[in-house]
Amino acid sequence: MSSYPRFAVVGHPNKGKSSIVSSLSLDGSIQISNTPGTTQVKRGFPLKIDGEIVYELFDTPGFQRARRVYAWLEAHGRDVSADKRVEVVRQFVFEHKEDKQFRDEVELLEPILEGAGIIYVVDASKPYGAEYEVEMEILRWCGQPSMAILNLIGEEDYREEWTRALGQYFRMVRTYNPMTAGHEEHVQLLESMAQLKEAWTKPIKKAIVALEKLQEQKIESTVITLSDYMLEVLSLVHTQNIYGEEVSEEEEEEAKRKYREKIVAYEMDERHAVEKIWRHSDIQKQENALVLDEVGLFSEESVSIFGLSQKELILTGASAGAITGAGIDLLTAGHSLFLGSIVGGIVGGVGAMFGFDNLYEVKVLGQSLGKRELSVGPMQNLNFPYVLLGRGLYHASVIAKRSHAKRDALSLDSESFTGKIIDAEMRKELEKIHGKLRKAEELEKEEIEAYKKVIRGAFLRLLEAK
Amino acid sequence: MKEHTQKITLNSYLDLAQLLKRYQGTHEENRSFGLKHQEDSVSRLQKWKEKYLYKITDSLDSTSYLHYLTTFTYMVSFLFLLFGLITGFTLLSYSGKEPVNVIYLLLVMVGLPLLSILLTVLSMYTGNVGAKFFNHFSPLYYLEKIINFFYFSKKVDLSHFSLSSKLTKWIFLDRLQLFSFLFALGLLISLLLTVISKDIAFGWSSTLEIDSLVLQQTLAYLATPWQTFLPTAVPTVELVELSHYYRLGEKLESSMIQNADKLGAWWKFLAMAMLVYAIILRLLLWAWVHFAYKRLLKKEFLRIAGVEKLLWEFETPFVSTQAQTAETHLDVASSKSSAQSDLALAYNAILGWNYSEEDLHLIVDRFGVNAKVVKNVGGKNSFGEDQAVIAEVEKAILVYVKAWEPPTMDFVDFLEELLGKEEVIKVDICPLGTSTNGYESQARDLQVWFNKLEKVDSAKLGVIDV
Repeated sequence: MSSYPRFAVVGHPNKGKSSIVSSLSLDGSIQISNTPGTTQVKRGFPLKIDGEIVYELFDTPGFQRARRVYAWLEAHGRDVSADKRVEVVRQFVFEHKEDKQFRDEVELLEPILEGAGIIYVVDASKPYGAEYEVEMEILRWCGQPSMAILNLIGEEDYREEWTRALGQYFRMVRTYNPMTAGHEEHVQLLESMAQLKEAWTKPIKKAIVALEKLQEQKIESTVITLSDYMLEVLSLVHTQNIYGEEVSEEEEEEAKRKYREKIVAYEMDERHAVEKIWRHSDIQKQENALVLDEVGLFSEESVSIFGLSQKELILTGASAGAITGAGIDLLTAGHSLFLGSIVGGIVGGVGAMFGFDNLYEVKVLGQSLGKRELSVGPMQNLNFPYVLLGRGLYHASVIAKRSHAKRDALSLDSESFTGKIIDAEMRKELEKIHGKLRKAEELEKEEIEAYKKVIRGAFLRLLEAK
Repeated sequence: MKEHTQKITLNSYLDLAQLLKRYQGTHEENRSFGLKHQEDSVSRLQKWKEKYLYKITDSLDSTSYLHYLTTFTYMVSFLFLLFGLITGFTLLSYSGKEPVNVIYLLLVMVGLPLLSILLTVLSMYTGNVGAKFFNHFSPLYYLEKIINFFYFSKKVDLSHFSLSSKLTKWIFLDRLQLFSFLFALGLLISLLLTVISKDIAFGWSSTLEIDSLVLQQTLAYLATPWQTFLPTAVPTVELVELSHYYRLGEKLESSMIQNADKLGAWWKFLAMAMLVYAIILRLLLWAWVHFAYKRLLKKEFLRIAGVEKLLWEFETPFVSTQAQTAETHLDVASSKSSAQSDLALAYNAILGWNYSEEDLHLIVDRFGVNAKVVKNVGGKNSFGEDQAVIAEVEKAILVYVKAWEPPTMDFVDFLEELLGKEEVIKVDICPLGTSTNGYESQARDLQVWFNKLEKVDSAKLGVIDV
């Protein structure tokens, strides 16, 4: 028998057992189907800390022939005292191990007979039915600590009548909706599970601490990913060779296009990284084409949703003068080996405040041996960093709050974006860094830390927002 | 071995930076590594790098960069030594008509190195603003120009080598001290060789009206470091006065010719001045620069992109919640069957599966379908009771079921038994919704019933959607 707590999530078919396990194990890969009986064998989901199992959840098939099982138990254990009933159940499992008729019941009873606590799942959005009592009786015969979970699959609410009935069979009855449950609800449920048996309290508490840390880790990793992405994109300089003495219009347009493509690729990479952090790698996305898709990054719609207003831009202290300071050695602050002198002039100009026609500086760089390069970037548009950050934060918050039990496509539209998550103080901090990046200045570690702090603050605000 | 692994070199810096671009490991792997290697951060990173360096299958950046750097260092070292020798011999070329001007020698042999030292110190400790201002005065600036003449100048792309401009500056500042040292050594060697092989008369001359005593005092200050242990290398007032000459005089002053043996005494002062100010001071600065460079290298080593995450993963417990076994899932094909929409007005029997007697009568009243026998089955009924109902019913039978409760094998067993009875000619299954919804079933629930009932292959079976 295992030394760590185990919990078997059992119940009638199609009542959300797999959804609950998926949500509790933070595993979005579990198949969840509307068709009953698709879970055919039990499957363990251990929570491990550095390889050591702290507790294990079992997803099990639903009861299929509960009345027959109960009839067998009654026939063989009618005169057995309550303390010996579990042996009758054990005998049933032993005798029917190879019996296809009772395959589901054997699968679901096995972990319980090995000491797993019982988590009985019902759909409390549908009326209570007496047919459940047979299942509950069988579980009672197992004699293991047990609790019931009221899952609200539909819109109606029959929790009161369910609670009255379940209260007669289970020590605890809790509501848990795996589709909407977040980290807090997850922890609350674990705390309830810890109360089922004294010996389980300590390991479950340990698991709660680990999960709290895991949540913090995910937040921190997201902040680092977002911050690295922002710094990388905002300091991005695309260079390519040119063939004549002066840059042609086609060459300039091609360079600008490639520069934009690189930024879009960075955004995709950032999103994948965030989805991986929150273990939502298999997610299907269905984004609002105007707002969050690749084209939208440079659209005016994006600016209107994620960017700052003209007033806010002025209040950040960013002025056009601050972004025209590109001079000799702009790229590497005076120590640019091999890229020392600029022979061409500035072709592009200061980006427009709201439009995206001139986002970046375009320069012709010369080298001593005659090779010429066209350089695009870093991004000069004052509003672009906020658009980039807003989109990143919004996507990350949607991913972070998404339950692992959900199987529908991810919808990323602007409607639920809370908008004003970056206050004046935050903007001031951000602008300090953005200004430096526009001038291609190298950032000190402390400055990067301050930048992360602002991003962390904004991300936490979004996570807390309902 | 431990000492070796803890030492940070440019080689290890470049290797780690290149490796982290290619491979960062998983949190699980890195945590496991961190638990095995409970050492300081640098040692851990060095060992991690050694463990995974094989992941870089193409050539190492460090090999090519250090090859170019070493080649550059050797070639420029040789050039600077040669340049020092040539400069020295040129300055000391004595025609016999005019003495070698000590002031001129001091400016080149002591003044120039001191100015170079000053600029180096400014380069070391001025920020970007200072760096820009001093850029064109800095020897580093000219070092860049020199590199452009080397065959590998195009191959050394610093952005490719993940070196920050700060670190690059210090790499070259370090080498610059070697070059300056070799230049000064060349000058000193040339002085010594000239003194050995020639009889040089030193003198001094200036357009400015410099008093001999003032000059002697100034030179005595310069000679402070060695005047106690080598007083003969400090010019006396007599020597300074004797050495003063005027360019407009056609011939050397008679006093100078009379004291020619004494004029040669200048060389000791010049040699000591060079040794102290151009060589020893340079070596001290070199040690200082080298120490600061190593310190920066360590700082930058810990700032390589990906290092922070790696160190965090070494320290942070890895929490896993996923299943270790693959999922066995039953794929259920969706049924193409469709339901009839009308109930017959009369059946021989109406059965309510899992309904209570009370609920069943309400349903019968609601739909107004008549039958001689109305019985509830399943639910809390025993098998014996269900068997008795099957024995009692015949011909056309209507079975009301709860649409939201998926059909279990218990129901299928009952149905098969009912359909197997010869006297039964038709069984209509009518899935109903909840009473609060007027018994209207949902399409999704109906589909579940179709899928299941399709497996019960019987011509007597029909499904009705009211």
